[in-house]
Amino acid sequence: MGLGQLASRALLRSTRLAASKPHHLLLRRAVVSTPELHNSEAAAVEAQPEPDLPKRTPVAGARVHFPNPDDAIEVFVDGYPVKIPKGMTVLQACVIAGVDIPRFCYHDRLSIAGNCRMCLVEVEKSPKPVASCAMPALPGMKIKTDTPLAKKAREGVMEFLLMNHPLDCPICDQGGECDLQDQSMAFGSDRGRFTETKRSVVDKNLGPLVKTVMTRCIQCTRCVRFASEIAGVQDLGMLGRGSGEEIGTYVEKLMTSELSGNVIDICPVGALTSKPFAFKARNWELKGTESIDVTDAVGSNIRIDSRGPEVMRIVPRLNEDINEEWISDKTRFFYDGLKRQRLNDPMIRGADGRFKAVSWRDALAVVAEVIHQVRPQEIVGVAGKLSDAESMMALKDFLNKMGSNNIWCEGNGPSPNADLRSGYIMNTSISGLEKADVFLLVGTQPRVEAAMVNARIRKTVRATNAKVGYVGPSADFNYDHEHLGTGPETLTELAEGRHPFCSALSNAKNPAIIIGAGIFGRKDKDAIFSVVEAIAKNVNAVRPDWNGLNVLLLNAAQAAALDLGLVPESDKSIESAKFIYLMGADDENVDKLPDDAFVVYQGHHGDRGVYRANVILPASAFTEKEGTYANTEGCAQTTVPAVPTVGDARDDWKIIRALSEVAGVPLPYNTLSGIRSRIGIVAPNLLHVDEREPAAFSSAFLRPEVKDKPDKTPFERAVDNFYMTDSITRASKIMAQCSALLSKK
Amino acid sequence: MASSLKYVRVPPNSASLAEARQRVFEFFKTACRSIPSIMEIYTLHDVVAPSQLRSTIASEIRKNAHVTNTKVIDMLLFKGTEELSNIVEHAKQRHHIIGQYVVGRQGLDVGTKDQGVSDFLKNFYKGNYF
Repeated sequence: MGLGQLASRALLRSTRLAASKPHHLLLRRAVVSTPELHNSEAAAVEAQPEPDLPKRTPVAGARVHFPNPDDAIEVFVDGYPVKIPKGMTVLQACVIAGVDIPRFCYHDRLSIAGNCRMCLVEVEKSPKPVASCAMPALPGMKIKTDTPLAKKAREGVMEFLLMNHPLDCPICDQGGECDLQDQSMAFGSDRGRFTETKRSVVDKNLGPLVKTVMTRCIQCTRCVRFASEIAGVQDLGMLGRGSGEEIGTYVEKLMTSELSGNVIDICPVGALTSKPFAFKARNWELKGTESIDVTDAVGSNIRIDSRGPEVMRIVPRLNEDINEEWISDKTRFFYDGLKRQRLNDPMIRGADGRFKAVSWRDALAVVAEVIHQVRPQEIVGVAGKLSDAESMMALKDFLNKMGSNNIWCEGNGPSPNADLRSGYIMNTSISGLEKADVFLLVGTQPRVEAAMVNARIRKTVRATNAKVGYVGPSADFNYDHEHLGTGPETLTELAEGRHPFCSALSNAKNPAIIIGAGIFGRKDKDAIFSVVEAIAKNVNAVRPDWNGLNVLLLNAAQAAALDLGLVPESDKSIESAKFIYLMGADDENVDKLPDDAFVVYQGHHGDRGVYRANVILPASAFTEKEGTYANTEGCAQTTVPAVPTVGDARDDWKIIRALSEVAGVPLPYNTLSGIRSRIGIVAPNLLHVDEREPAAFSSAFLRPEVKDKPDKTPFERAVDNFYMTDSITRASKIMAQCSALLSKK
Repeated sequence: MASSLKYVRVPPNSASLAEARQRVFEFFKTACRSIPSIMEIYTLHDVVAPSQLRSTIASEIRKNAHVTNTKVIDMLLFKGTEELSNIVEHAKQRHHIIGQYVVGRQGLDVGTKDQGVSDFLKNFYKGNYF
């Protein structure tokens, strides 16, 4: 007899008992079993009109791009039909259907390896589970990810992976953000059966940045594929076979690539970790702040992980348009420079030449007094490489109120052309470089100037076999290129059609010409620009749908400075200056400054600028303030404060506003929104955060003719040492180690 | 010991602004009358003069002079009475009194340096976050 009948008998007995105590009846629930309920087929028939399944969205809000909408195929993932573009793999189909399949070796941006076997799913009519990362999805495929077979496969793979994996979790830096930990909790079995001894592997020395504990390696080969595909260096490889496999460099070689830090993010286990960050913190103690990197002009999106007042590490954020998922080594590891050589008190240089710490009141009073004693044309202001748009706006307004218009940003040269925006930004946006098929690099070494732009060029070269021609001093490139020449004569030859590379340029559908910002410092800058514009006209690089004439800037502050109009009146202003205001400007050449000039240095590091300074005003670094920066393609982004300011430092624009008030010419705004509305009048594109505003007019056709011929001097390197380019990186110990060990000499 | 203040009484509601004002003056008088015993308890004889303490109390009260809501005034009076009774019944210690009411009070009411400056500049001198 069925259980239902047993239950009904028990109920009959209990109701007889309950009848004697009627007040307990309310506590009993009637469990009634009827013959219909025993009949399961009838139940299935009844349940046929199912309620609608909840709509499934792709994992992590991903968007699906259908390159050819007619070519969409339909597959079924766990019974749910989903439309995918043709050519997608089973794993990608499951991602679109909202199912996250565990994986170790698969990465969206790397080639498919299929060696971890964690992504096994069951496909109908297939004798064994398939590796979903490698199997292309065919129309009408029925994919099942939660069947006992798939689960058993995952448990088995996890067991194998954990067999030789050391019990390092308490001492491993990846604990808390380890793929192996997370996936073994979610998909692994609860017990292991391994009783033999585990194998161990020798650690490899990859440099001062990447710490290797190769025993923890699960041989997923993500690092090998990253190094060979994206970084372009064939340093890493897999040696040996079977359980004796080791990842290493085979020769005693350090990873000198500027993208080598990204293998730390890519490695799913703690085999490759960050050496400066080793044993410093666990990831759950850290507060992540989404911000922007300012060490170069790319504006890579980063997340600053801080614990209290200290920045512990810097990790990339996803931004498809600018830096994808990678950041350069300089961006990743310069953060320890934020703790050294910090200025935290206003200081005035006494009569004996030594600095004395004073209060803000006294410092501002002294500066205000001196600024009133000089004539307006002797006042000069220089904005630094790391200045944000708000502080540059405040400085320009203040100096203009004092009667001077000699203010510029370092790196822009003595007479920048700020009239047309297309003359100083990357007009094909960084993501647009992927569509180019021929590159002409003029006086720029993107590998050291803007590593993410270089990565994008390499991606294009690798994907479409684009040709790259380079004019400049001999430099290191991680893709095939032709070294066309070293100086402006090559450009003249290209413009006149005499050079063999001209044919490649003219046959190109989307030529991209990238001029380096190192040219801004040359005297024949206008002549060189006119020659390059002639080349662009000849090859039809500037059209309504494609503007291939780009300028690659060097500093984070240059684009915003030129947008705001920080153009000096005269380029000889330094020689006759009596009062110079350096706002974080450490690389400006102040040798020509007269000896009796009064120098005010406002910045966050005691770098080169303070040696000549008379008054030091401590400001906050970019990790401590909310500032707007425009990157080399003209996209405005803001940094967010991650840690509090050091000592008695203040925000840059606040110092200038306070100084203006003490000097008797108060600026009309005193809040951040006030400054931002002022910026909105001058350069409204800087207020459209995270949006790239393309230039309206192209400079190729609108600039006046330049009669001069370019100089014969060959182009120079703009960046000597990739690892030490500004005040923060020069103060960093890790950068010093890198430049000693890893510079490509 | 609950409260050693002789004249203290803080009924909850002042009927009008005038009554609240009256209460404030009574509180001030109570506080000034307890100054000798405070100086005795915490041995502040060589540190500060009673007139200085009176100025301090007066400036603290004056900081809230702009308040017009009677309920808020009552609440502030309650807090002030609480603080005063804490001090009088020796619940605080000498360094508390010195740090909170003695140090840094030079030029208290005579703000000649800061008279003509704006709020922005005043806040700027104090700190970065305002």
